[in-house]
Order: sequence, then structure tokens, then C-alpha cells
Amino acid sequence: MGKDAARAEWDNPMQFVLACVSYAVGLGNVWRFPYLCQMHGGGGFLIPYMLMLVLLGVPLFYMELAIGQKMRLGSIGAWRAISPYLGGVGMASVVTSMYLCLYYNVINAWSFWYLFHSFQSVLPWAECPVNSNLTGPVEECERATPTQYFFYRETLDISGSIEENGGIHMGQALCLLLAWIIVYLFIVKGVKSTGKVVYFTATFPYLVLIIYLIRGVTLHGAINGVKYMFTPKMEQLAKPTTWINAATQIFFSLGLGFGSLIAFASYNQYNNNFEKQAIVVSMVNSSTSIFASIVTFSIYGFKATFNYESCLERVRLLLLNTFDLAEDTISLENVNHWIAELNRTHPEQFASLGGRLETCDLEAELDTAVEGTGLAFIVYSEAIKNMPVSQLWSVLYFIMLLLLGMGSMLGNVIAVITPLSDLKFISHYMSTKTLNGLVCLFCLLLGLGFTTRSGNYWFTMFNDYGATFSLLFIVLIEVITVCYIYGIKRFEKDVEDMLGHRLNWYWKIMLAGVSPILLIALFIFYIVNYIQGGTPTYQAWNKELGKSVVTEYPPYAQAFIGLLLASSVCCIPLTALYTYCKKRNLASGKRERTVSTVSA
Amino acid sequence: MPSLTVPPGAPPILQSLTVPPGAPPILQSLAVTLERMLVRILVLLYLAGAPALAQTLCQPNASNGYRVRISIKTALGNQAYEWNENEMFLFRATMAFAMRRYYKTETYNVDNIIVCNQTRRVSFWFVVISPENPTMLIPKADVEKAVSMSRHRINNAFLLTDRTLEFLGIYPTLAEPVNPDTPPWLIVFGVVIGAVFAGIIALLVSSLLQKRRKEKGMMEDGQDEEDRQMKGVENGINLDGIYNRGFTDDDRFTKL
Repeated sequence: MGKDAARAEWDNPMQFVLACVSYAVGLGNVWRFPYLCQMHGGGGFLIPYMLMLVLLGVPLFYMELAIGQKMRLGSIGAWRAISPYLGGVGMASVVTSMYLCLYYNVINAWSFWYLFHSFQSVLPWAECPVNSNLTGPVEECERATPTQYFFYRETLDISGSIEENGGIHMGQALCLLLAWIIVYLFIVKGVKSTGKVVYFTATFPYLVLIIYLIRGVTLHGAINGVKYMFTPKMEQLAKPTTWINAATQIFFSLGLGFGSLIAFASYNQYNNNFEKQAIVVSMVNSSTSIFASIVTFSIYGFKATFNYESCLERVRLLLLNTFDLAEDTISLENVNHWIAELNRTHPEQFASLGGRLETCDLEAELDTAVEGTGLAFIVYSEAIKNMPVSQLWSVLYFIMLLLLGMGSMLGNVIAVITPLSDLKFISHYMSTKTLNGLVCLFCLLLGLGFTTRSGNYWFTMFNDYGATFSLLFIVLIEVITVCYIYGIKRFEKDVEDMLGHRLNWYWKIMLAGVSPILLIALFIFYIVNYIQGGTPTYQAWNKELGKSVVTEYPPYAQAFIGLLLASSVCCIPLTALYTYCKKRNLASGKRERTVSTVSA
Repeated sequence: MPSLTVPPGAPPILQSLTVPPGAPPILQSLAVTLERMLVRILVLLYLAGAPALAQTLCQPNASNGYRVRISIKTALGNQAYEWNENEMFLFRATMAFAMRRYYKTETYNVDNIIVCNQTRRVSFWFVVISPENPTMLIPKADVEKAVSMSRHRINNAFLLTDRTLEFLGIYPTLAEPVNPDTPPWLIVFGVVIGAVFAGIIALLVSSLLQKRRKEKGMMEDGQDEEDRQMKGVENGINLDGIYNRGFTDDDRFTKL
């Protein structure tokens, strides 16, 4: 079939680079890297991060681009071409990407929900709604904070545990529908439409980040956060968890192993200089992470300072009211001085304050490290509601989240569609448009499960287990396949064929030696951690307490986790077995046919 | 000659001071001076005693009193005014106004609001006495209802809010939440999804037009395309790399 001549291509190499940037620069840069930075010693974390980028990230990224560009097929076809027994690697990638597609777009649905709710005079997460008899705020909101209430009750309508199912949240379902329609529009014409969209999705988030950086560093108290982040705590580098988290972050941030990079590169021209592009994209991704964490930390600093000063204000009022002092005797600066003074002069009255006197600590406020959806939707929206002209900042922020999420979604969906459209029996029966539509519809229908009342718990399960372990395994097999089964010499020749020059010693050492060793170490660590961790747990929202409590997964959920992990990993040995059996049958069948052609 | 008749409304002590008409003039003038002194003393006592009486009515933790706490500097910052006797007078007048409004009468006056225990914080206790009976206090519940009814007016008189002019024990009723007919987010959603559907329709229309143009232009080449595609499938072997079309042509020609 003249598939190659008819295979779509990027209009120019810039589109390919922007597509990779748009895919790699995603929500993880905004909500996971700052958290890791804070947990592992601020500025000091950059050392293991950069080291892992050089040792692990860039070589593997290069390898995936090379495979895609050489084989000019999606992940299934490419791996089958490299080694017929290891076509399962491609299947595992597709299965993992499918899981990612299912749950990732729910984040975009939430971003849409928050975006639409930003067009009000008072942001709905700024205040607690009043209860039915108009005497005060709703109790659940009082016990928690208004932003938490808005996220858990009004956005998710979350139930108490993963066992309690409920109906579908209509607003969420509508937003999910919108998200999938937009994704479909972006990919409907294959790379022709995607190539134009990535100009916007890759560049606009940077514009918003710059605006936010300027707004962020001019906020009152922002400098506290930035100072806190960048003060290196070198003793953290001695802990192995730091290095492992750095490796994992690089790994997942670049999006290795999903098959998206192979799919993107398969639409390249044969002689495209992917070496330079691999380095550029990896560097851009890492710098974006650092840039985003400066923004995040200035916002953290603002929020922490705001909360600290509110706490001081409350203590000041409490002291004024209890001791009946004139209003201007205690100011925010000398609250602590007055506490000591009043304790000395009126000890009995001071003791009567009891538990109502809060201790206000700026460090403790800064220490509340949050990652993931909690950071993006709760902490950030809390900071935004205190900014002047909060509606504008809210709109900008959620548009940025949307673009980052949509850009990554493009990669995820293309990783599923490209191998499927390469399969002969599918492309024979339907056009690309229909295939794209069917995949989007299928993902939408299954994704509606995440919009139910217990949907967030399933979402967390998919997020934690759906892609982490399987990806490590997939990429490990990939590297070993390319370097040892396919052979580093053949790989070198292919690259020379495409680029015109041989592999550098750097690539050879990293790909054949360092990366596999690091991956095996990561893999072993994950297994050990998983076994040691005991029963997997999740955070369930308790509406009476107004906070999340750690709950164990019920047995059927644990079985489902096992199924998630096994379903993608098993593809590899199963396909190998299947190919082996097929080849044996084919071999015995070929003997008969050889006889017939000789006679003819 | 001073009148020896005692005025009808005088207290009983004075009435008992009536001197019989046949008394000697010294006794009569003595009675008169005594009467005058008593009247003055009683008037003085009454004038002094009324506030004392009132003070006993107004006490901290009084059963029918409320404590008020005012935070002017918190509310107004640089434009804060000084709390002095005039402001206190305004408060008492505003409270009298609130009582008038609640009971719909015009009998309440500034004197009916009694204030005590003022602190530097600017907090004090107040009680309301009934205008008909100065010893009777208006019950707590009625005062609360009166204050709640006119809370907004009281706040505005002092340029303060519910939080900075606190009546401890009276909770402000929160404003009715505004419930629009269509939630605003749905409107924005409608706009966006309308734009998206417009995009889809534009896409469908443009692809239809393209198809029609292609069909017109490539009528002749259609046959060859079909043959080539069918041949590729019929071979059945998994093809890697570039399909060699020259090979297909040979097959077609050499078939017999």
C-alpha cells in the first residue's frame, strides 16, 4: 500500500517541536514540580533534577523520537517492526495512553467549570454560601474553607468514600462533553489540524505565566515564598527519595513511554534533525518547570502571608475584646509583645482565653505543601480570590490550565489514534475522521464515570496507578529492546541514515549503559515501595469533619488496581507468546507453500 | 402670708405638715421653711435618685441589657472619628428611634436609653426603660427585634457595619442569596459550546465542499487507485517498509 507517500506530515519542523513542547509542558510542570521542589530542599532539588535530565530524560526522549521518525508508524507498528516479538510494547503503550485519555480530560472539565464560574461579581469560592434559615454559613463550609467547599461539594459533589456511588453531576458531564468535542476538533484532520492548534496551545501558556510572574512577584508577601523555595536545604540530597523523585518527575514530565512521541515523530520528514529538537524540547520543559515554580511560590508566599496576617488580626481582636483595651493600642506588629505583656499583668484573665488564642506562624503556613489537583484548584483559587480584580486573574489562570491540559491531551489521543489508524483492518473500514470520532466518543462515555459522586476517588486511583508502574516497565523494555535486541549498532546505522552523522559517544553510553541501570533501580524501588506500603489508601472527604481522611481501598478496588497494572504490562509477554505461536504455525505452513511454488 | 395649703400632688410627708389655722405665727413660718426645704430636698433627691435608680437598672450582665462593641478604627482607618459624649448621644438617639419604629409610637426618647460601663475599647452596656414606667425595663427579646429591624439604619448612622458595630447576642440576619434564573456559568458554557458547534458545522461544510471538488477532478485516476489498494490487501503478508508498486504492475501483466 502506498501508505508512506500518503502519510500525513507536519507542515514544518516548527509544528513538530511545538507539538512536543505542548505535550511535554503540561499540568505536572505547574503542580508537581513546585511541590517536589519544596519537599526536597528548595534550590537544592535542582541538582538531582538536572542530573536526571541529562542521564535519563534526554537520551530516552531522543530514542523515542528516533524510533518514530525511522519507522514512520505509531507505537504498535513501530515496535513490531523493530522486533516482531515485542510488538506488545506498543500495545502496552496504547493501553496506558487509553487509561490516561479516560481520566485526564476530567481535569480539563474541571478547568472549564472553574473558568465558567469566574464570570461572576463575587467568585463563588470566595465566600461560604448561607444556609437555609439565613443564620450563618453552611456547616460543612464553616468547618472547611470556602475554596475546599466549592471544590468538594459544588464542583464534585463528592461522596464519603469510594463505595458510595451517586448520580452523575450534570455540570461536570456537560463540561466533559465540551472538553471532548474540543479535543475532537483539534485532531479531526490529523496532523493538519493539530499542527495549527499547537501554535496556540504551546505559546499562550507562556504568555499567561509571564503575566502571572509579574503579578505574582508584586504581590504582598510573595518574596517570602520565593525565598523559602530557593533556600537550599542540602541535607535533603542525602536522602534517596530525593533522587528517585527527581528521576520519576523527569520521566513523567517528558511523557516517555506513552507512544505520543513516537506518534508525533512518525509524521516527520525522514531527514528531520530530531537530535537538536530533542535537546531543545527537554530543556524547554525543564525551564518551564522552574519558571512555573517561581510563579507558584510567589503565590504561595502571598497566600501564606495573607493567612498569617489574618491570624494576627484575629488574635489582636481577641485580645482587644477580652481586655477591653482601646483599638489602637495593639497593632499587627506588636501583637506578640502584647501577648507576653498581658500574660504577665493579667494571668487569670489570660488563662481564661484558653484554646481560643491561636499561634500564628508564617513558616508553618509556607510549609503546607500541596500537589496535584489540590494545589491547582484549591490553593491557587484561594490565593486568587484575595487578589484585586480576582475575576480577571481567575479567568487567565484557568485558561492557562486548560491550554496546558489540552496540549497534553492532544498527545495522549494521538498516541491512541495513530497506531490504531495504522492497523490495516481499521483503516480499511473507516476514514480517519470516523476513527477519531469513535475514539473520542468511547472515551467520553467511559469518562462519564469520573463525573459521578465517587468519581474523584476513581480518578485518583487511575492517576496514581494507571500509568506510573506500567510506564517504567514499558520504557525499560523499550531501552533494552533497542540497545540489545535490535542492537545499538543497527540503531546507530538508522540514525546515521536519517541525520547524516553517527551517534555521539554521549548517546551511546547513556542509552546502552546509564539509562537502563537507572530505570532498573527505579523499577525495583517502586516494587519495594509498593510492597512495603501495605494496603493502598486514598484520601476520602469527610463532610462532618470538613477535611480529608485516609481510608483504605475496599477489596474490589484493590483488585481493580491490580487489573489496571496487569492489563498494560501483560500485553508484552502475551503478544510475544502470540507472535511466537503464529510464527511457528506460519513456518509449518510455509513449508507446504514452498513446495507448491517450486512445482508451479 | 405664705399659703398654708399643701398642693394636691405633694408627697404624704408634706401633707402631714399641715399646720392647724389657729397656730401661732412662729410655728406657721417654721412650717413654711421646713416645707420649702423638704420640697427642695425631695426634688434634689429625685433628680439625683433618678439616675441612681437608673444606674441600678443598667448593669453589666443585666438580664435585659445588651453589650455593644464598636470598632471605629478597624472600620474607617484614617477617617476614624473620635468616640465622645456626642457620639454616645447619637447612639442613644438612634436606639430611641429604633424603639419608636418597632413599637410604632412616638413616646420613646433619649432618656429612655441608659448606658453604663463604658470602656476604652469602646464597649458599653445599655438597657431600655419604658417611657410610661421608668422602673420597668423593656424585655430583651423586644429590644433584639427592634435592633434587628433597624440594624441597617443604626449601622449607617455611624458609618459602620454589622461586624464593626456589634450587639453581642444579636446575630445579624444575612442577606438573601441572589438566585438568578439561569446560573451565570451556564450562560458562558452556552456561548462556548455554541462557538464549538459552529466550528464543527464549518468543518463539515468545508470537508463536503472539498470532497465534491476532488470527485470532479479525479474521475480518471479513480480506477487505478482502487486496483492498487485491492492488490495490497490481497497479498496478505505483513508488509514492512515501502511497498514496491513496480512489483504490483508486473503481477497484473503476467497474470493469465
